[in-house]
Amino acid sequence: MMRGDKGTGLALRYVAALAITTIFIFPIYWLAIISFKTPNEIFAFPPVWWPESIQFANYAVLFKDGDVNAIWNSMVVSTVSTVIAMLLGTMCAYSIARFRTGGNFLSDWLISNRMIPPIAIAFPIFLLYVKLGWIDTYLGLIVLYTAFNLPYVIWMMRGYILDIPIELEESALVDGCSRWRVFRKVVLPMTRGGMFATAVFTFIFAWNEFIFALILTRSSVTTFPVQVTHYFGVDSTFWAKISAMSMLGMLPIFIVVAIMQKFIVRGISLGAVKG
Amino acid sequence: MAQLAIHGLRKFYGKVEALKGIDLDIPEGEFCVFVGPSGCGKSTLLRTIAGLEDISSGTIEIDDREVNDLRPRDRNIAMVFQNYALYPYLNVFENIAFGLRSRKTPEAEIQKRVSAAAEMLGIEAMLDRMPRQLSGGQRQRVAIGRAVVRDARLFLFDEPLSNLDAQLRDGMRAEIKRLHQEIKKTMVYVTHDQIEAMTLADRIVLMRDGIIEQQGKPLELFERPVNKFVAGFLGSPQMNFVTTRLVESGNGLVLKFNHGRSLQVEKSREASLKNWIDKEVILGLRPEHITRYVTADKNSHIGEKIAVTVDLVEPTGTRTYVQFKLNDEEITAELPSHMVDKPGTEIDVLVDMGRILLFDPKTELVIA
Amino acid sequence: MTGVQANTGTGNNRPSVWMRMGSSIDRRFKYYMIFPAVLIILLIGLFPAVYALITSMQGITMMEEDTSFYGLMNYKELMNDSRFWESLLHTMIFVIIALPAELILGLLMAYLFLERLPGRQVFVALLVLPVVTSPIIAGANWRLLFDNRYGPVNQVLGWITGEPVTILWTVDANYVYLAILIAEVWQWTPFMFLLLLAALSNVDQSQMEAAELDGASFTSIFKKIVLPAIWPVMAIAVLIRALDLFRLFDVVWALTRGGPGTTTETVSMYAYVLGFRQFETSLTSALAFVVIFMLAVTITLILRRMEIDR
Repeated sequence: MMRGDKGTGLALRYVAALAITTIFIFPIYWLAIISFKTPNEIFAFPPVWWPESIQFANYAVLFKDGDVNAIWNSMVVSTVSTVIAMLLGTMCAYSIARFRTGGNFLSDWLISNRMIPPIAIAFPIFLLYVKLGWIDTYLGLIVLYTAFNLPYVIWMMRGYILDIPIELEESALVDGCSRWRVFRKVVLPMTRGGMFATAVFTFIFAWNEFIFALILTRSSVTTFPVQVTHYFGVDSTFWAKISAMSMLGMLPIFIVVAIMQKFIVRGISLGAVKG
Repeated sequence: MAQLAIHGLRKFYGKVEALKGIDLDIPEGEFCVFVGPSGCGKSTLLRTIAGLEDISSGTIEIDDREVNDLRPRDRNIAMVFQNYALYPYLNVFENIAFGLRSRKTPEAEIQKRVSAAAEMLGIEAMLDRMPRQLSGGQRQRVAIGRAVVRDARLFLFDEPLSNLDAQLRDGMRAEIKRLHQEIKKTMVYVTHDQIEAMTLADRIVLMRDGIIEQQGKPLELFERPVNKFVAGFLGSPQMNFVTTRLVESGNGLVLKFNHGRSLQVEKSREASLKNWIDKEVILGLRPEHITRYVTADKNSHIGEKIAVTVDLVEPTGTRTYVQFKLNDEEITAELPSHMVDKPGTEIDVLVDMGRILLFDPKTELVIA
Repeated sequence: MTGVQANTGTGNNRPSVWMRMGSSIDRRFKYYMIFPAVLIILLIGLFPAVYALITSMQGITMMEEDTSFYGLMNYKELMNDSRFWESLLHTMIFVIIALPAELILGLLMAYLFLERLPGRQVFVALLVLPVVTSPIIAGANWRLLFDNRYGPVNQVLGWITGEPVTILWTVDANYVYLAILIAEVWQWTPFMFLLLLAALSNVDQSQMEAAELDGASFTSIFKKIVLPAIWPVMAIAVLIRALDLFRLFDVVWALTRGGPGTTTETVSMYAYVLGFRQFETSLTSALAFVVIFMLAVTITLILRRMEIDR
């Protein structure tokens, strides 16, 4: 490989890394500063790259107008569906991993669920939800996201569970644990790392999901991606609201990413390596 | 009254028969060792006793109660695993207390029993440490502590010392023996190491390919093996085997070797060898039953003399292993170091004919 | 010995990872454990699929609720629908251009970050951000960037060319594709980058060093040692991205709404329009199955190719 870890090689690589990262971060930066600009600055020509002062009026508007509800809705739906998906998914993964329940049929079916394009089932689900009265309800979206995330959770957790030395479970069984207790007291603690990584991605998926949120919500349970699209009018675009809302929406994700940084990288790559 | 009784146990893995009909009766308080080469089924047998594997046919009885369909937790057994199976996220105390907590034992009782067990194993100072902070030997003790702390009727050990280095192994072996003497419970111990088997067992169960080749007291298997496999498995260095021919000569039966050499068979054995005259037999001879013939020392004239050429000399301190050939097969003899010459020398050795064994070449069973 | 060994020690021939338990309690346990998950997936997965299959062969449109059996008429109608084929074309353009772009850029970036670099953690953490952003936000974000008067893109281009640039990125048919591709590649190249970085880190160093000593060129080392080693991860990454690109919706929706007109309409967007604007229930269902069928065929072909390549 190129001897690029010393001297000029290192310096060049560092500059390149800096440049590339800047390019990738710039759009987000731009979005951020718009949210802090005054209307005059936003619509200044030529565009202003650094606002005169940081002002939060745009955010205040969101709170005043109640648009912030969208963030709350996203929070509720994403968190609850993640928790449920993690719990049920890990249970299912344990059964499949240790007991080969359902054999190849179940595993194949679960994998195939990931491959169905959402739009293919969007309309039937819409009709189903109308019948069930689940349109524009927390329950509806939560069940949906849980269902979407379960195959992923099962797939990932199955891999993590298989990594646990089986002696730990056998020892617990001999020592007097019931199967359920083994699951609670041995399997869950041992897979904590894997659970975090998987939970992060499950949460992110639910948080960012758009199509079904668009179709299945009206006004009470609008999630934040849908809310943002409300700001694209036919003739006017509410720039300030778009940027402020987007930043608010990205904030929880950024926090989660910052905390779970290690797990994210491992999660993305392991997901592929475990294949 | 047997405490662990196994009758006609068979186990199939798909089409492969791992256990081919095991019958075993282990009385209470006995230390029984399952030993054998890799793949003989000893671990599988242990695991079926534990209930971690199910059986295809036959019965397992613990305390006269059939346990075939009972879950492990209901069989009242404790088990120590080869890899210790310690929970990395719990400290030593919690690891040992794990089983008690599962059975909802009251807190005070847990405290008492865990401390007692820790003391017995010399780990009371480590109760609040985490497994990763312990050495291999200490971890093994915790694993044993976890088994001991419950009042189980039967203790199972699955190659617990295999992961330790040689020195540690010797020490732990003694501790396990001491443990058995102290708590006096029935113990079933699996190992592939025949030295462990010999030193620890009240009874050895030697297995091969899913059946029990022989079981009994260690000395019994050592001195009176039923076949070539058992004879060759126990004892280090291994027993020597030479194919030779039994013929009649002037004053009795002799075993003929190349270069005109022969060894006279004891008169007391002649009766059982009647049908083997002029046939090939396998001679089994342990290295320690061969000594050096010293002309001057009248005391050493026990056994039959035979002339050999030294091939290889391996000194190991007080004893030295000398190799020579009989019938073109390598024989190892264990001689005192000061009695050994250079390779190529021709010496006379004495074979203790009272200790030899003769085997049928086809069935490998002992003839005499 | 069959099956996979699970972290057992040396002498233990344990043929099964799975615990073979005969007791009925355990049999019930394993089914209880999968029951809730399977139930939920069935509810959301099975019913709609069955319903869609049925309606795809009926005649439910905006006007009439004709539930008689139409057979494959809807499918034929779709085949004759030019808008359908156009949407398919648009989608394929995105797939064919974005995927290689993300792959190559991701690979280059992975090589850049492969060797020791101070503060690599920070760089990687920042580079993850586009991936975890909602595609809608990404689209909205780039829409602001591409604004012809108030967005910095035209401004920067103006600096480079020396003349004012007024490209209407999200409206001008000549530039919309570029705009969407830029946004898409921006968001997902880091995904490829992370995966490939992990894969490259696992390539056997000693193999590469030996080849270097032997005087092998960079390209041949890459072809013969690196590529085979990262191939499994790369294949999965390509598969995932290909599927995602095929389903492209959010980003396009935010940037152009499929416009101008229907120039950038993807298959997913057409399906949405068909079902939720025109209420052509049966046609939509038929479209859904056509999409599923095409995907299934593509996946099988890709998987088979992957098997062959091994």
